[in-house]
Amino acid sequence: MRISTSAMHDLAIAALLRQQAELSKTQNQIATGKRVQKPSDDPVAAAQLFDLTRTQSQVEQFNRNSTAATTRLQLEEQALADSGTVLQRVHELVVQSNTATLTNSDRQYIVTELQARASELQAIANRQDTNGDYLFAGFAARTQPFARGSSGQVAYMGDSGARQLQVDSSQFVADANPGSQVFMDVTAGNGAFTTAAAATNTGSGVLDAGSIVDRSQWVPDQYTISFTSGSTWQVTDSANNPVAAGSYTGDGAIAFRGVQVNLSGTPASGDQFAVRPAGTQDVFGMLDGVIATLQAGAGNDATRAQMSTALNASLQQIEQASDHLLAVRASVGARLSVLGDADAARQDQSTDLATAVSGLQDLDYAAAVSKMSQQYVGLQAAQQSYANISKLSLFNYL
Amino acid sequence: MADMLSTGVSGLLAFQSALDTTSHNIANASTPGYSRQLVNLATQGADQSGSGWIGRGVQVTTIQRAFDAALSGQARTATSGYQQLDTFATLAGRVDNLFSDSSSGLATTLQQLMNSVQAVANAPTSVSARQVLLSQAGTLVARLKSYNGSLDTLASQIGTQIGSEASTISTLAQNIADLNRQIVTAMGQSQQPPNDLLDQRDLLIGQLSQHVGVQTVAQDDGSVNVYIGSGQALVTGSIAARMTTTADSFDPTLQHLTLQGGGVSVDVTNTISGGTLGGLLQFRGTMLDGARNALGQIAVAVATLFNNQHAAGLDLNGQFGGQFFSVGGVRTLPASDNTGTPSVSVTRGSLAGLTTADYTLQYDGSAWSLSRNDTGATVAMTGSGTAADPFVADGLQIVVAGSAQAGDRFQIQPTSQAISGFGVLIADPAKVAAAMPLVTSAAATNTGSGAVSQASVASPGAWVRGTYTLAFDTTGGWTITDAGGATVTSGSSYTAGSAIPFNGMSITLSGAPAAGDSFTINATGNVSGDNRNALQLAGTLGQAALAGGSATIQSIVSQLITGIGVQTNQAQTGRDAQQVVRDDATNQMSSVSGVNLDEEASNMVRYQQAYQAAAKVISVADTLFQTLLNATGH
Repeated sequence: MRISTSAMHDLAIAALLRQQAELSKTQNQIATGKRVQKPSDDPVAAAQLFDLTRTQSQVEQFNRNSTAATTRLQLEEQALADSGTVLQRVHELVVQSNTATLTNSDRQYIVTELQARASELQAIANRQDTNGDYLFAGFAARTQPFARGSSGQVAYMGDSGARQLQVDSSQFVADANPGSQVFMDVTAGNGAFTTAAAATNTGSGVLDAGSIVDRSQWVPDQYTISFTSGSTWQVTDSANNPVAAGSYTGDGAIAFRGVQVNLSGTPASGDQFAVRPAGTQDVFGMLDGVIATLQAGAGNDATRAQMSTALNASLQQIEQASDHLLAVRASVGARLSVLGDADAARQDQSTDLATAVSGLQDLDYAAAVSKMSQQYVGLQAAQQSYANISKLSLFNYL
Repeated sequence: MADMLSTGVSGLLAFQSALDTTSHNIANASTPGYSRQLVNLATQGADQSGSGWIGRGVQVTTIQRAFDAALSGQARTATSGYQQLDTFATLAGRVDNLFSDSSSGLATTLQQLMNSVQAVANAPTSVSARQVLLSQAGTLVARLKSYNGSLDTLASQIGTQIGSEASTISTLAQNIADLNRQIVTAMGQSQQPPNDLLDQRDLLIGQLSQHVGVQTVAQDDGSVNVYIGSGQALVTGSIAARMTTTADSFDPTLQHLTLQGGGVSVDVTNTISGGTLGGLLQFRGTMLDGARNALGQIAVAVATLFNNQHAAGLDLNGQFGGQFFSVGGVRTLPASDNTGTPSVSVTRGSLAGLTTADYTLQYDGSAWSLSRNDTGATVAMTGSGTAADPFVADGLQIVVAGSAQAGDRFQIQPTSQAISGFGVLIADPAKVAAAMPLVTSAAATNTGSGAVSQASVASPGAWVRGTYTLAFDTTGGWTITDAGGATVTSGSSYTAGSAIPFNGMSITLSGAPAAGDSFTINATGNVSGDNRNALQLAGTLGQAALAGGSATIQSIVSQLITGIGVQTNQAQTGRDAQQVVRDDATNQMSSVSGVNLDEEASNMVRYQQAYQAAAKVISVADTLFQTLLNATGH
């Protein structure tokens, strides 16, 4: 095929330009370290990259969410631990106050400390997080959740909401428990029933908090244990039907419908004790009750017995409250552990994502450098051969 | 009578012409469009003598250019194809570059918006987290506006370029027509081909083919007719048509191409292919509008989904959230040649039906019909087109009014102007609605399995805020009382899953509540730490709410960007392949027509030697004549 002289030059230059363009592209890839620089470089990889980068950003946000949840849950756990310590001290004080040898004025010192402990507990329940939100206010984050109202009782001003934070594409973790659940809804008594002595009792009989010995027999109802004489008792239900009866010989158990309560002291004829299904009680009301009982004091055997029954019930109540706080604390611990597991899983996911991104986007330097030197040699050869060949002309010899 | 002297002279003249032509070739070795010329030599006839025919020497029959019309046509077609692909690939590359950054790109910006909503969910009372959300929303708006602005700039550049292409094509056509006239005249005068004029004309047609695809038909008188598109005459003999731009009948800013010639105007916009102009029109039709509409669809989706969820929540002041984003409406353009007085108003309906296509609504004298502009397919509409019962199709609600005449048309662009009206309506961080309006709780003493499965404010206007208690009695009946204990509503039985409406609210329970169970329904207060609506907001952008409920906003974004990447990649690959085809065709043509200097050098030597030989013949003839004179003269 004959070649025209100008086409020969054009072709040679076009080939040089093409080689230069390719060399420049390889050089640019090496300079940026990226194989895919524009979607058109590799549309499939680019689409995956957009998805992966987006997921990376999402995972980072889940990390931040998890950190926020962990911080709050740790604050909550600390508050619960502190509350437990307070209740433990209260328990000691109540045990101490239930000693028969204490005088009313001795009890007054205990009352003073109990009042301080009650304030401390309220302060703990009103703790705030770093953001200024109350830990135990539910959604009402900026409303102080526990305040004494006009009646003098501590009322819960928050709500029952619990904020859920997203720590994974489908996993949500509550970052707090509402105060109503933690401090207000403590099941009363021993968890099944409460015991109380009637204020009209004249004997010195003291009833303990009792327990359920056979849960299958237990029928929740309002029972009354009445002493028809100093030694015979009868249990009636809310409809005044007799449920059980027996004789009391001192320091003995009274059992009915799966319940066992222990009576000590000497009840008088006509004394009554109540066994009620457990409702809920709040921790602050419970402390107020103990303080009121101790402040009322005891002047004679009958009031001492009533106080003792009341303090027994309170001790049971305090233990119940401690257990309740422990249960909440356990659920917080479980959530922290869930967060830890989710963090570990996300860590793995981040590593996988980074590997995938790198695999799609990053340049294989060895291959790129070898490609570049190949292109370099090619361009050099093209330039030299063009320079030589273009010198050839028949006119040189004419 | 054969004569040595005149035979020698004929040789001298012929080889002089040959040398002239060779030097012309050498001189024009680098002239664009030049075809090398060849001298055709032939014997000059012979005289009869008793002993046979004695030749009378040589003559130049014609000077011919080395030219192959078929190869030249092939090269032109290849060039047109290459120019179209090159123009498209270059423009597509600009769009591709626009979306190339994965760290500040659309997908990341959207994700950052969702992340900032999550940050509000982490600390709903934090004003700074809310401020970050507002500025991320602003960033998304700015990002979409910047993409849209770049596409608008590109569109107006293309408009300008189409105009200048049209005028270049008109000028070239005029020049070709002028050359046709000169060639016809020259051929008539000498009956010989005016080679250099022919080269000039072929060069101009070649240049024309870079701008638009052409077909040529050679005429007997030496002129060439040039056609474009599907056979519209651009040059007929010495008459050239003019290509001008005219406004689209719907959108006056959109150029159409019209060919004016012989008193007739033809709209050739849709028939043109090839060349720079073909590439511009192809890009405008297939990529630009699609990308702009897709961006609009993203803005509409973000605004709609976010607004719906935001309006259901309460802000830090305890007020309902309201609109978070504003977004531009549907663009409706009447045809400039509508004869009736119809008016059309179009609003968006379901997000799932919304497409990135533009539509034409046409009246045929009795009924309206809707068709997609990209595929031409008819889209079925339900409804009657009245305000009470609008036409519904593809996520649009169309209301027509006024009296329409047959042939009246409207163009409907569902998303093209969405971004121009896209913005963040909220400036006060406290107005971000992160909370839900109602908080419910079950009493701790409940013994049944009943639980509140849903509590919402169904009609915000009728909502009476307060604390309500829903209590179940021993007969299975229920009562809702307000904070003062007054009964709001009650019922004698409850079926799980049925909604109880009261005071603008609606509450639904699951399970079986027992006698004595109670539930409290509270209104969320001011400065609430409630993050439920924020979580819903974060989730809402991930909903598969588009394309009939099969695509999320993120998948639309990645579809758009991949689509652009694939189109660009295809165009670049196609261009590279077409470049090989074009180079090959050009080489073949230049192999026939191009000047090779070595060849010319050899020709020069050959013709020079022949010239010298012819001169020697004259010298010998002279010597012979002298010999004769000497022999006879004394």
